[in-house]
Amino acid sequence: MQISTHELKSKIIESLKLQDITPEQIDDDAPLFGTGLGLDSIDALELVVLLEKDYGIVIKDIEEGRPAFRSVQTLADFIAAKRPQ
Amino acid sequence: MRETEVVIAGCGAISAVGCGIETLRDALKKNSSGLRPLEKFSSPRFQSNVAGAAPRNFDDDNPAWSLATEALQQARESAQKILAEIPAGRIGLVLSTTKANIEALERISENRPCSETARRHLQANLLAADLAAAHGARGPVQTISVACVSGLIAVQQGAKLIQRGEADAVFVVGVDCLSEFVVAGFTALKALDPLGCRPFDAARCGLSPGEAGAAIVLARKDFAADSTIKIRGFGGSNDANHLTGPSRDGSGLAQAIRVALKSAKLSPQEIDFVHAHGTGTSYNDAMESLALKTVFGETSPPVSGSKGMLGHTLGAAGVLETICCVLAMQNNFLPGTPRLQTPADGAPKSLLREPKFGLRVKNVLKLNTGFGGMNGALILSHE
Amino acid sequence: MNKISIAAASIVTEADLPSARLGQRFGRLDLQSQLALLAVASLKINFDEFARDRIGICLAASAGSLSTDVNFWNGRNGIGGPSPTLFAYTLPSAAVGEIAIHFHLTGPDLCFVGDDKNLLAEAADFIRRGDADGCVCVFCEAVTAGCAEMISLPQTATAGAIFLKRGGGLREWREFDRDMKALCALILQSKSAG
Repeated sequence: MQISTHELKSKIIESLKLQDITPEQIDDDAPLFGTGLGLDSIDALELVVLLEKDYGIVIKDIEEGRPAFRSVQTLADFIAAKRPQ
Repeated sequence: MRETEVVIAGCGAISAVGCGIETLRDALKKNSSGLRPLEKFSSPRFQSNVAGAAPRNFDDDNPAWSLATEALQQARESAQKILAEIPAGRIGLVLSTTKANIEALERISENRPCSETARRHLQANLLAADLAAAHGARGPVQTISVACVSGLIAVQQGAKLIQRGEADAVFVVGVDCLSEFVVAGFTALKALDPLGCRPFDAARCGLSPGEAGAAIVLARKDFAADSTIKIRGFGGSNDANHLTGPSRDGSGLAQAIRVALKSAKLSPQEIDFVHAHGTGTSYNDAMESLALKTVFGETSPPVSGSKGMLGHTLGAAGVLETICCVLAMQNNFLPGTPRLQTPADGAPKSLLREPKFGLRVKNVLKLNTGFGGMNGALILSHE
Repeated sequence: MNKISIAAASIVTEADLPSARLGQRFGRLDLQSQLALLAVASLKINFDEFARDRIGICLAASAGSLSTDVNFWNGRNGIGGPSPTLFAYTLPSAAVGEIAIHFHLTGPDLCFVGDDKNLLAEAADFIRRGDADGCVCVFCEAVTAGCAEMISLPQTATAGAIFLKRGGGLREWREFDRDMKALCALILQSKSAG
């Protein structure tokens, strides 16, 4: 089942406590790390926690998550694919 | 006032390799490791159960007090004759710790027995005050908490108190204890090596937590004529880069080293040995290697690290590892790097896997770095 | 030039935080780091007048990092485990790190647990020894309700900062000027009066 990118963006904003930004201002395909939203390594770990807490997905190895974390869209696709039914 | 010489008059330690300075010295000479799998951290909620536990009672509700007291008692005993000449009002205490008696937080939150004193020592400054009172230090008391550089900064603060004339002797005490709090935290950061840390190794992938109590008695040289190891220089800096990751190029640590060398009036070539921070994480060891290359070029002095033996003892590390340097200087040997097998590409070419004996060690550079971009470099000199 | 002066002072409380405009990531900081960073920002120092590696930071945290320690520990049983972000702030020196990162200050740092009585003297010592040309001094009192339950300090959320520098400034610093809170209040009062 596809994940609404709007919902995912809200969760990211809430979990990472981003200020002065709305889901509408985050582009589906913009990079999450480095440039774009400019998230860092601690944020990556926090997103791993989010995936387990909200979607039941356990990432054993951070490298496994790397391609998924490229953008909101790739993360949404990853969740849709890995989410326990 | 800066001309006042500050020397090391005594030491005490309790750590993963056992209790007492002689035990630590023997472990350094044997290059052994005190890291072990612990039942306490064997649940799946922890990334690794390998840690450096001190020989102490794990039912103790105040391990911070116990470890600190043991180390300080040893240190005072070893500096007995010198301290006998100094009134209590001229003896200060500087405590270095990151988590003080965090054990109490765990107990209170789970309604397990926790004494008032154990709870009181959640506050590091009260732990410091009580240690000072119990050990006859009625001079200035300071509580330092600067992440993993705390210990080195505490040594420097102790030296400053003496140089400024505020004290004639200072007990520098470092303590941090193994706790579920810390292991859960490093697990959340995925920073632990499941097999135990391997500083500077090609296969390194994380740190191992450790606990220790470590104490150094610093004194004015005029009170300690026979003490031959002095605090010669110090430098501190901040990477201003990221909260948990060091600046990738090592420039902040290189800056701290340069400031230390300048304050010691030494050139890089005059350093005989570098005791590294060497946590075993991918980033730290790479950064440290770069910093050393920046300062020393291709010919860095012999380098080694002790966290494969002791684990990362956080607030105690700077004090405990300074004591390792003192033991090396007093016994004419260079420690090796326990648990190192294959040095990583980019590790210093002068990295020592095994100890080297029969060497006069005159000038030692001790390094530590910590979360929040902290860097510290201490220089000790042997007469 | 042996003179050391106070260039600016500030005091902030929790009430000032919602209107703080200190970047998109301000929300991630723990209470203590937010208060400390806002206190330093409120000094409105132009750090460009200095070499960044010649500015030190001295901070005193009355309760260490215990408020954040309690928050972190309370989350230990959550699905996915406790927050990695919170763990990074379970150190009183995290606030120092955030100040250093925000203003790019790469000089020497000190962080104490307890009261601020030694802060200005230590900062002055940095300057006198030649380790720094200026020093940001910050006192923090971040005691949440959960923390106050554990320890002997009252619940509070405030921080204040003073910038000490070599040479002239708003007011000369003297050896006996030890009470940071009182000094901040005095300077702010005379600024609003004058």
